[in-house]
This record gives sequence, structure tokens and C-alpha cells, in this order.
Amino acid sequence: MALELIDVHKSYPMNIGRKHVLRGVNASFGRGERVGILGRNGSGKSTLVRILSGVEMPTRGRIRRTMSVSWPIGLAAGFLNALSGQDNCRFIARIYGKPSQDVVDYVESFAELGEYLRMPVGTYSSGMRSRLGLAISLAIEFECFLIDEALSVGDNKFGRAFAARLANAGLILVTHSPSQVRQLCTRAAVMDQGTLTFYEDIDEALATYNSL
Amino acid sequence: MSDTAARPTLADCARTQLRVIGALVIREMHTRFGRHRFGYLTLFFEPLLLAIGVGIIHQLHKGERGVRGSFEMYAIGYVLFMKLRQMIMRAHGTIPSNAALLFHRQVALPDLFFARHLIETAACTGVLFIMTFAGIAMGGEIPDSPIKMLAAAALMFLLAQGLALMVGAATAEWHGIERFIHLLTYLFLPISGLFFMLYWLPPWLQDLAVWVPTVHIFELLRDGQFGEKYWTQYDILYVIKWILVTHLIGLAGLRIVRQRVGLE
Repeated sequence: MALELIDVHKSYPMNIGRKHVLRGVNASFGRGERVGILGRNGSGKSTLVRILSGVEMPTRGRIRRTMSVSWPIGLAAGFLNALSGQDNCRFIARIYGKPSQDVVDYVESFAELGEYLRMPVGTYSSGMRSRLGLAISLAIEFECFLIDEALSVGDNKFGRAFAARLANAGLILVTHSPSQVRQLCTRAAVMDQGTLTFYEDIDEALATYNSL
Repeated sequence: MSDTAARPTLADCARTQLRVIGALVIREMHTRFGRHRFGYLTLFFEPLLLAIGVGIIHQLHKGERGVRGSFEMYAIGYVLFMKLRQMIMRAHGTIPSNAALLFHRQVALPDLFFARHLIETAACTGVLFIMTFAGIAMGGEIPDSPIKMLAAAALMFLLAQGLALMVGAATAEWHGIERFIHLLTYLFLPISGLFFMLYWLPPWLQDLAVWVPTVHIFELLRDGQFGEKYWTQYDILYVIKWILVTHLIGLAGLRIVRQRVGLE
């Protein structure tokens, strides 16, 4: 049960030639592991997330996915703005083959959205959007949660409930915020210029990241 | 470039895809018509009113070489033409309006199109039934072969789907050509076979008209409606070839486009 990347390259066509975003990434995420991936803007983090989630295919290299991995949960979280939070829940529940009413009930009790659950997602604040995304993904019970950026799990009721729920699931957190990595992860890696370097010691990873 | 999991079987994949298309159909109904019941009715009334309008105009013009009931001739045919045009004209918006859903890896580009086309087809088939009964109620005869009419509707649906997949892929790659495609669908109307039957045409024009796939579909439809009262000729195999080629190009195009459509 793992998610592995084997020599993954990704490049995009540009006006002049191709832009190489990932240049040979190797990684292995075991089941239940909580890994933080740190990277500056433009280091290829978002591309990596999309490849990990299976939304984009690598230009070269292989992905081996033998556990269920969530979609990239973050601000642009795969919602339709015109639909209500509730309808988005139902849609996502359906495509993952979960009973939609169970997912809606769970989100209702967990995401603290109140009446907004029946409002279009376009009216949500960024905090509400990320709570909705997290709550839906928790209801679907992935083996590994893939979380991209700007996650407002503070030290409030929601944040604590979220951390408790993650205790027995895997997590890949892609961020530029060292404090979140320290709070949630047991292992860390640094993304720089299209390559990914793992560090067994979080402090070492943070030190490397800060010196970039 | 590969993505191996604990190798799901073909049946697993089919189940997932059906689940996704089912969810997309429901989602499409919600955004298109809101959550108000009234919205669903517009789906029926829009083609119905247009078709009745065209039928009445032709009824007023009269003298159409003795074809029984202009209403049956044009209004029912127009439903099929509308299906073709709507599916093609909506194709350019299919990917942009669903881009956010591509965050879920089981949502594939063709699924977005299949879901829309299912709704369009369900609506058009419903309207086709209503129009046929309306024709009977207005004193027309019972269609000679409803099976042939349904076959014509199915062929039109598949042809429209193949073309819509192509248009969807093309417009994702080259923005702006959808305006050109709108124009083409209008220019296509007179040569589509909706307003004529092959045997009305002079021989040299017949030889040209048989190259148009929809001409065969309309001939089949009229065979089903009017039976042997009118002389019809069609080549179903020719239409099927068009369907296969357009699907092939369309699906291949979407596969190429999938690499580019960015998740912002």
C-alpha cells in the first residue's frame, strides 16, 4: 500500500521550447505516513500535487498507486461555484461511490458551515471552501489525503477534529508554511528546481528550506 | 508514461465511468435548470416550440409536392436537426464549464460530453414522441415503422456526438473557432436533408447530396414515418462510417487536449 513516483518528469510547451517543471522526481509514500513537502513559489509544487493525485500524467516516468489518494484539496478544490455546498458534496460522493446522504450529513456536522451549506460555493470565503473540501474528503475516507497550500486548520475546534481524524490516515501536505509541516507531519521533503529531496529529520528539512 | 494501480478490471473501470456519468448528468441538470422544477420543462418546450413554428410556416407555404402533412414532415424532422445543432453548438463550453471537476481523476473529458449528450437525447426523444402523437392527433396516420424512426434518432445522436467530441477538442485547442462553427451549423441547414427528399432532386444533385450523412438519416426517418408512400433511399453503413471516424478523431483529440487543459 503505497504511492510511488519513479523518475517522473513533467514539461509544458511554452512559446519558446518547453518548460521543464519536474526533472526526475523519485518518491515513495507509505500507508499512514504524514509527509510535508516544502517549496518556494514556482518550484513545481502544484505540478507535483497534480501528478500525485493522478489529475495530470507525467511526460516521462511512472506512478504506482496502490492506495486510495484524495484529489488535491485546497482553495481551488474541485467545486463548481454555481452549485451549493450540498450539491457539490453529493456530486463528489457519487463519483467516489459513497452514499451521498451520509456524506452530506457528515459534512453538515463537521464543516461548521451552517446555512451556507445550501448556498452556492461561489459565495464562500476561502476558509469555508477549505473546510468544505476537507470535510468531504474526510467523509470519503481516503487512505492518503493530498493537501495543497493555504489550509486554514488553525487551533480551533475544526482544526483539532481534523488533526484527530488524520491520526490514522496518511497525509501529503504541500505547502510553503514550515509551521504546518511541524504541526502535522512526521517526515519532510524539499522541492527545489524540479527535484525533490527527502529528509528523515524535519528540522533538517526546514533548515534547508529556509536557506533556499 | 503509465499509471499502475492494483490493476482494476475492465468491469471496475466501466462501473466507475458509469458512476461518473450518472453524477455528471445530475450535476448538469442542476446547473442548467436550477433546482426549480420549472427549469426541466424548458428542456422540452424549447425544441417543441421551435419545431411547431417551423411546421406551421411550411404548412402555410403549401404545395410541397404532395407530402402528407407538412407538420409531420418538417416538425418531426426538425427535432432531429435541433439535436444535432444543439450538441455541436454547446460542445465548446463543455470543458471550460466543468474544468473544476477535473480535479477528480476519475472524471475524464469524454464523460463530460457523454453526460450532456444523454440529457439532450432524452429530451429530444421525448419531444419526438410528443410530436408524433401530435401528428396522429391532427389527423395523420400512425407511423409506418417507429423502429426506423428511433434508429434515425439514434444515428443522428451518435453522429452529433462524434462531431461534438471533435468540436470540443478543437475549441479547447484553438479558442474562437466556435463562432465559425455556429455559422457552419446555420449554413448546413439547407443541405442537411431536412427540407428535401432525395428523389425530389435532379440526378446530378442527388449524386452530391448522398455525400451528406444527415441526408441518409432523414431519408430513414421518413421511411419510418411514411413507409412506402414515398420513395426513400439511404445507406446506413455510410452513416456508421461517419460515426466511427468522427468518434475516433474526437476521442483522440480530447486525449491530446487533456495534456494541456490546465487546472489553474
